[in-house]
Amino acid sequence: LTPRTQRIVGFLAFAAFVVVVAVLPSFISDFKAREYSYVAIYLIALLGLNILTGYTGQVSLGHGAFMAIGGYTTAILMAGNEQFGGPLSGGMKDLWTLPIAGLVAGLVGLAFGFPALRLSGLYLALATFAIAVAMPSTVKRFEEYSGGGQGIQLFGIPELTGSITNVHVLGRSLTPNDWMYYLAWSIALVAFAGAWLILRGRTGRAFRAVRDSETAAVSSGVSLARYKTLAFGISAAYAGVAGGLFAIASAFVNPDTFPVALSIFLLVGIVVGGLGGLSGLVFGAIFIAFLPLWAQGQDLGSLLPDRIIEETQKPGGPAIVYGVVLILLMFVLPNGVGGLFRRIGQLITNRRYSRSK
Amino acid sequence: VRVVLAALSAALVVALPTALAGSAADPGISSSAIVIGGTSPLTGPAASYASVARGAKAYFDFVNAGGGIAKRKIDYRIVDDAYNPANTVQAVRRLVEQDKVFAVFNTLGTEANLAIRDYLNQIKVPQLFAASGATTWGRDAAKYPWTIGFQPSYAAEGLVYGQYIPKAKKAKVAVLFQNDDYGKDLLANLKLGLGRSGSKVVAAEPYQVTSTDVGSQIAKLKASGANVLCIFATPTFAIQAYVFANRLGWKPLVINNAVSGTSNIMLLASEGGKNKLVEGTITTTVLKDPTDPRWNKDPGMKQYRALLAKYAKGANPNDVYHVYGMAVAYETVSLFKRLGANPTRVALMKAARSISSPNNPFLLPGVLVKTGNGDNFPIQQGQLQRWTKGRFVPVGGLWASKRN
Repeated sequence: LTPRTQRIVGFLAFAAFVVVVAVLPSFISDFKAREYSYVAIYLIALLGLNILTGYTGQVSLGHGAFMAIGGYTTAILMAGNEQFGGPLSGGMKDLWTLPIAGLVAGLVGLAFGFPALRLSGLYLALATFAIAVAMPSTVKRFEEYSGGGQGIQLFGIPELTGSITNVHVLGRSLTPNDWMYYLAWSIALVAFAGAWLILRGRTGRAFRAVRDSETAAVSSGVSLARYKTLAFGISAAYAGVAGGLFAIASAFVNPDTFPVALSIFLLVGIVVGGLGGLSGLVFGAIFIAFLPLWAQGQDLGSLLPDRIIEETQKPGGPAIVYGVVLILLMFVLPNGVGGLFRRIGQLITNRRYSRSK
Repeated sequence: VRVVLAALSAALVVALPTALAGSAADPGISSSAIVIGGTSPLTGPAASYASVARGAKAYFDFVNAGGGIAKRKIDYRIVDDAYNPANTVQAVRRLVEQDKVFAVFNTLGTEANLAIRDYLNQIKVPQLFAASGATTWGRDAAKYPWTIGFQPSYAAEGLVYGQYIPKAKKAKVAVLFQNDDYGKDLLANLKLGLGRSGSKVVAAEPYQVTSTDVGSQIAKLKASGANVLCIFATPTFAIQAYVFANRLGWKPLVINNAVSGTSNIMLLASEGGKNKLVEGTITTTVLKDPTDPRWNKDPGMKQYRALLAKYAKGANPNDVYHVYGMAVAYETVSLFKRLGANPTRVALMKAARSISSPNNPFLLPGVLVKTGNGDNFPIQQGQLQRWTKGRFVPVGGLWASKRN
């Protein structure tokens, strides 16, 4: 396919996807809509992580921590921390906290980008892993700001839109779950388009140059410092927005809401979705949102024999299933779902090419 | 005509309330089943507690095999939350909104239960027998009428240790505690119990649920020169505490909290008899210990073994957490029996606030499960016990908490 047709196909696919997202709630139960809103939230975080890891080549094992920063920013702006003896009274409506959550996490990401300049590869992965490990304890340490281990409860406070009552928006009445779905997916689609715009131009080219060879990038005039920190900042901002939405969707944050495992799951998500691609990430997000449930036999009750379901509900069962599925998937799709898309695209191109000869 | 009218109106008077009652049935109740559900850490740092849910399920399966309650079977759905409260929130919403459970039952963990309490109370779904000893379940019952705990509160437990230690020795006490409400509840009340006895806490080191080991904490606690070590930690960390303290050659008197002071955990901590530090450990319990020969002929424990072998194949009968699960399931079944043919959520909570169950076969003789008249703590007693030559031996009689 020529780049031009590729772009048209891509655009049509995106438009089709938007339509699917818009009508999906009519076909699934009210509660499922809530679960799919988590797919959108993970998608936002994965987009950010892929900008950093897939496109710029900087491995981060700490994106759960940036989500935590976003989540806590949102929660504290909404509920305040006066009840724990902190200085903020909160009172901001949930939606308006999201840009701030993105901004705060983005600034922290930028700040982290500077020391990260001196590290690369495995060492960078370890440094970012350290923030993920330290985050829960840090949050607990500053109890008067964060509420400590008990966390911040958002359910039922007036700042949260639609705790139990329907939400009226654009002349329609949405159930709280549908509202969460449309909110999360609207932001995810904007984030998707935003990521595409960033990556298609000059900045994206510079990112890829840094990834492919730092020496070559520098000798072509790409500033390593500038683009690495920029990638960190953008990526963390995405994670911050995702974290804020996560807090709103769960109506609760606590240090263990963003455990070390979350950072690892995010990395798993971009590998499953395909490094250095955007469309595959939707599958990466579905994978991290639903596989833990499927691994426990939830939702699959009618598909699997009782004997297997029983096994998965034993202690440790879900983790084993999760691991096995992940290994199998990596065998079948070594380049993730995005890699599969690219291969299909290549096959079509090759056929057309050989026919025209 | 009058007779017909009278008969009709009489029929209406009789039929109407039953029709209304029928239409007002709460979610989760059908003619053949009562659906309840809860989260359990099947994976993650507290996975040893998965046995609690398994024991409860085995007991429900036994009741179901006998025809259920008022011809309804109990459908108990367990969802893994990996001991992460954010997962608990999602899983519980799933149970309530998708599986349409009648009540959320036996959800394990202090933070997990705190995370879902506001939600469940606002939508008026019972949070029955939260598997956590946090004092707030009983203390704040007026604010959260849909929530009730089960086991003795950590406050009462901490107090009991605080009162016991000075009797044993003039002590300098070091404390390892989980850095959350559960650990802090125990620590604060331990100090309260020590009072002005002359024994006091000289060092207290927190650990995070997410941490991998407690080696550095134990080293610091040893350096404080304490001669009593209180372990307020979940099983994995409690075992580590014994192992690290032993390696450092530290020989304090150990107080181990009830949530890990069980024979299966003590056996693991003793490292096959190599670790002598476990000897003399003090803890408290309300459960009959399956490894204790005193209960070999006890009908309750015979039933426990039989049920576990039949309904939880492969489960280790010496794992005391199964006993906890059966004890809480036993009380739940009694509650549902009291509700009769038309159970409602309101009636369930009303029944849960007026329990009087002196003979739970899985609890120690004399331990009452009792609520009512402003008392919202189902169990308020316990038995101190000492680990002696590979098993627990009771110390004194049952204690009863007056404050909480």
